[in-house]
Formats: sequence, C-alpha cells, structure tokens
Amino acid sequence: MILRAEGIQKRFDTRVVLRDAGIEIVPGSITLLLGANGSGKTTLANILATLLSPDRGSITVDGEPLSRRRTAARRSIGFASHRPLLYLGLTPLENLSFFGGLAGVPSPARRAMELLERLGMAPFARAPVERFSRGMLQRIVLARALLTDPKILLLDEPYTGLDETGVAVVNEVLRDARERGTGSLVITHEPERVRPLATRVLRMHAGRVEEAA
Amino acid sequence: MRTILAVTMKDLRLHARDARFLATLALFSASLVLILSVAFGPIFGDPAKEASATLWGALFFAGVLGLTRALDLESESGGGDALRLTGADPYALYLGKTIANFLLVSADFLILLPIVSIFFDVGNLRVLPGVLGVAALGLVGYAAWGTLFAALARGIRARELLLSVVLFPSLVPLWIGAVKLTNALWGDGTIDPVRDWIKVLAVMDVLGLALAAFLYELIQEATE
Amino acid sequence: MNPTIPRWWSGLGKALWAAALALVAISFWMASRAPIEVQMGPVQKIVYVHVPSAIATLIAFGVTFAASIAYLATKDWRWDGLAASSCEIGMVFATVVMITGPLWARSAWNTWWTWEPRLTTFLILWILYAGYHVVRASLRSESRRTISSVMGIVFFVNLPLVWKSIEWWRGSLHPKNVTMVPEMRVTLLVGMAAWMIFYAAALLQRLRLEWHTEARAFSDTAAPAPSEGRAQP
Repeated sequence: MILRAEGIQKRFDTRVVLRDAGIEIVPGSITLLLGANGSGKTTLANILATLLSPDRGSITVDGEPLSRRRTAARRSIGFASHRPLLYLGLTPLENLSFFGGLAGVPSPARRAMELLERLGMAPFARAPVERFSRGMLQRIVLARALLTDPKILLLDEPYTGLDETGVAVVNEVLRDARERGTGSLVITHEPERVRPLATRVLRMHAGRVEEAA
Repeated sequence: MRTILAVTMKDLRLHARDARFLATLALFSASLVLILSVAFGPIFGDPAKEASATLWGALFFAGVLGLTRALDLESESGGGDALRLTGADPYALYLGKTIANFLLVSADFLILLPIVSIFFDVGNLRVLPGVLGVAALGLVGYAAWGTLFAALARGIRARELLLSVVLFPSLVPLWIGAVKLTNALWGDGTIDPVRDWIKVLAVMDVLGLALAAFLYELIQEATE
Repeated sequence: MNPTIPRWWSGLGKALWAAALALVAISFWMASRAPIEVQMGPVQKIVYVHVPSAIATLIAFGVTFAASIAYLATKDWRWDGLAASSCEIGMVFATVVMITGPLWARSAWNTWWTWEPRLTTFLILWILYAGYHVVRASLRSESRRTISSVMGIVFFVNLPLVWKSIEWWRGSLHPKNVTMVPEMRVTLLVGMAAWMIFYAAALLQRLRLEWHTEARAFSDTAAPAPSEGRAQP
C-alpha cells in the first residue's frame, strides 16, 4: 500500500504550518522525518493518519483519494502519536480488545494478548493504564497501532522518554514491519536511534518536506 | 449492533471506576433537590407540582455534569481520536454514548426519586410505573440531545456553561412535558388531561436521534 | 478561491442603505400619521416596528438555517459567512422584538412580561442564537464553521416544536388577527418593506466584514516561514 501526500497546506488560525508538503510512504520502507520544533511534523503525521484534514492538497492511497476510502484506510494505517490515544481508566487488555473489536479485528481479545506478549507487556495486561510509566505506556500505544496489522505505520516521537529496552522494542517493531512489507514513517528528535534502520531521511523545513543529507 | 454495545460498556466501565465522579454527581443532584425543597417549603402549596419541578430541575442540571464528563473521557488522552481511527460507524458510536448517558442519568433519577418523594410526600406504588415510564421517555430525549450538543461543545473551555446555554432552551418542550406528566401522576394519579405531552416527548426523542443521524459524523470529524 | 469582494457589492450596498433609510423614515412618518387605535392609544404604534422585526428575525434565522445546510453540503466558507452574518443581524432584530414586546404588553395587559407563546419562544430563540455566537467565538479553527452550521440547523429545526409546546402550555394571548383599518394596514406593510430592506442592507454590510476577515487570514498564506519554538498541537 502506497500512501502519498501532495501539496498539503494547513494553517491554524493565521499561522501557516504546512505550506506545500508532500511525502510518499512505500511498502517495506522506513522513512525518517526530522525537523525543528514547530516545523509541522506532527501536523503532517496527523493529516496522514486522517485525524486532521488539510486545507489544500491531496492524499491518495494506492492512487485513490483518501476521502473515498477513509474507513478502509484508517484500518490499514497504524498511528502512534505522543498522545496515548487510549482510555486511561481501562486496562491494556480492555483498551486493545475494545479498539480491535471496533476496527473489525477478528478475535480482538486474542489479538490483544498476542501483541501484549510480543511487546513484553503481558504481565501488566490487567492493570489500568493510568498507572503506567512512560515506557510501559508507549508499548501499549504501539500495540494499539499494530492491532489491525497495518500496511502503513506512522510513529510520532516514539522514543521519547524510553530507556534502552524500550528503544529496542520500538526498533524491533520497525524491523518486523519492514520485513512484512509495511511502510513506516518515524518522526523523531533522536535520529541516531533509528538511522541505521532508515531507508530514507527527510527533513521538514518552512512547511515543506525536503531530502536531508 | 455490537459496536453500540461495546461503546456503551466502555463508557459505563470508565464511569464505574471513577467513584469520585459518581459520588460528586449524586451529591450535587441531592443538594439541588435540597435547595429547591427549601425554597418551596416548608409548607408545600402544591406538592405534586413542586416535586416534579424539583426532580426534573435537579436532573437537568446534574445531567450536564454527566454529559461533559463523558466528553472529557474521550478527549483527555485522545480516546475519541482513537475511536475515529477504528473506522467504526459514527452513528453507532453516538448511539453507544447516548445509551451510556441515558443509563447514567437514569441512575441519578432513581437516586433522586425516593428523596423527592419523601421530602414532598408525593407518589405511591400505583403511579410508580407511570412515573418511571415518563422518566424513561424524557431521559432518552435528554441523552439524545445532550450527547449531540456535548459533542458540539467539545473543544471549548467553558463546556458545562455553554452546554447548558444551548441545551436547556432547546429542551424546553421536553422539560414542560416531563414536569406536566409527572405532576399529573403525582397530583391526580392519571395523565389523561395531559396525555398529549407524551407525543411531545416522543417527538423530541425521535427528532434528537434523527438529527444526530445526519449530523454526528460531521461533528465528529470537525477538528482543527 | 480568492475572497475579493465582488465589485458590484459596493454599488448595491449604497443603494440598499439609501432605500432602507428612506423607507424607514417614511414608515416612521406614516406611523406617526396613522390613526390612533381606540383601546391602546399611541403605544399601539409600536406594532409597526415590532411585527416587521419579528418577521425579519425569523427570515434571518431561516437564512442561517439554509446557509448552514449549504455549507455542510459544499464546505464553501462563504455559506458559513452568510449564515453567521444573518444570525448576527437576526439577533439585533430579536432584541428589538424583546424590547418592543414588553413595552406593548405593559400598555395592553398591564404587565411587562407574560408567558405567552410568541414572546417566550422568541426569548428562547434569543438565548439559543446568543449561544451560537458564543460557541462560534470560542472556537478558533476550521471546526468553527461546521459546528456553527450544525447549530444553525438544529436550533431552527427545533423551533416549531418549542413554539407549539409553549402554545399548548400556555394558551395563546397574543393578538392573532388584529383588526386594522386600511391606513394602518398600509403603514404596517410599508414598515415591513422598510425593515426587510434594512435587513438586506445590514446583511450585505456584515458580509463585507466577513470577506475582509477571510481575506486577511488568506493573505498570510504568502507570509514567510513559520516561526520556531512553539510546540505542535
């Protein structure tokens, strides 16, 4: 699945954040997106994840406009942002089963446990998420993104606040995704963590996406 | 559908785990009842009427707390956005939430009913089914419109205030009907003279649910 | 989509204002010359402002309703601009109704307020649409337009129900068919025409403001690179 954005423009009130941003995510790739604070990386990620709509520009999935296939697209895109996108009062198992069920995942509870085991969070499956440390929470966030076995993975600052083990988990997920043919986009301030894995490096500047050195 | 049920259960589960909130809700509505009882009392000129007004007044105001709390659950850690990402049918999400809100405010009703009955010395077992029926009809409408409007007020700071400002005037027909019917049951023991108000409540219920069918998805997707 | 104001608006605006002011002046003059109603005396003449204002209010909110639907269907910001502008002017007329109504009531029924259906419904209307503006002003982003449109639709759809409910609740005290001699009727009609045109003139003026605001925000698109240091939402 190829996710392509072209000519994306987005402004908030009078501040123009994205001017003419474009990006393409292809299967089996790991794209690194760098950029200064406030350069619009998270906004672009949110737009690609279909949570925000651009003022101008087009987003296509395998050539078809996103708006036409929004439900299917949402289920093929896994998004992990720095907001948890979880219910803090529920346990990981409850959260994942709930979202999995709504997203049409068969046997959501089983899939949930599978993911929790894979990410090393099985022992904590039944404790409310609000008690978790940053590192533990991040793994649940990742698990939610992986629920539907997405073809596109969007990770916004996945390494923030993680220790070495946590970083290794994220990278393992990315490696695995690449092998399965999933296309990944990683937005980060700590490029050294993921540079070895990246197939492409881009930079956000003046509201546009450019190739980086 | 299963989506509706899942959403309802999720909301109820979250509410159930927040004992502090539930206690606040109950206490708040109880104090409203207290204040109004004192204002009307100590000798009640028309207990059936005053009791109905007190009951429904307390419910309406306390209900707003429940509605905004349900809203906050979605926005505080992005759960609402995660819901959108599942690609689930927005109307199903709305119905799930509305049912949960209905159950929450009904629970509040069941707490207030005995209190009001005792304070004002109204009601009896014979009219109880009728009172419960009227309440169900009225609260379905309250939940339907309330959930819709709460979603509108999503991004705004003074949420409870604004929700009250737009919700209460819109629900005037519901309010009048509910109070009149409850009053009739407690006063005359029959709703015959005011039977028509049942139609009003029913229309309000249907209208609220129908408007949401058209508009909820738009509201849900209307973000930055 | 460049929000430049169509050239012919300027001319139309001037013409409308001229016509409006002229007609309003004429209607006032006619009102002062109209026969004095037997029971109420001169105060009855408030009706020449009250009734047209009420009708203007309903038309204004009707326009908001229609424009809101159009916005949701097309996502063209101009429909939302029309909806909001019409709503604002509708509020002004609604306020006039809420002021002239009690003045009339005081004379006719010796009370400032009465829970009769039309006045009560207008009060509810006023509160609802005031809420529209407050909500609209509290939202800064694009969602503002969608949310406003939803309100514009929901409030209007609910209106007949509210009206009917209050009528049932209270029974109607509001004069339904007022007997009017021909001179009075003509005066009323002139008054209606005057205030309708006034509405149109005010609407156009308000739309210009909306256009200006949008153009200013739009021109910032050409501004240089965004500033650094602010965390992304």
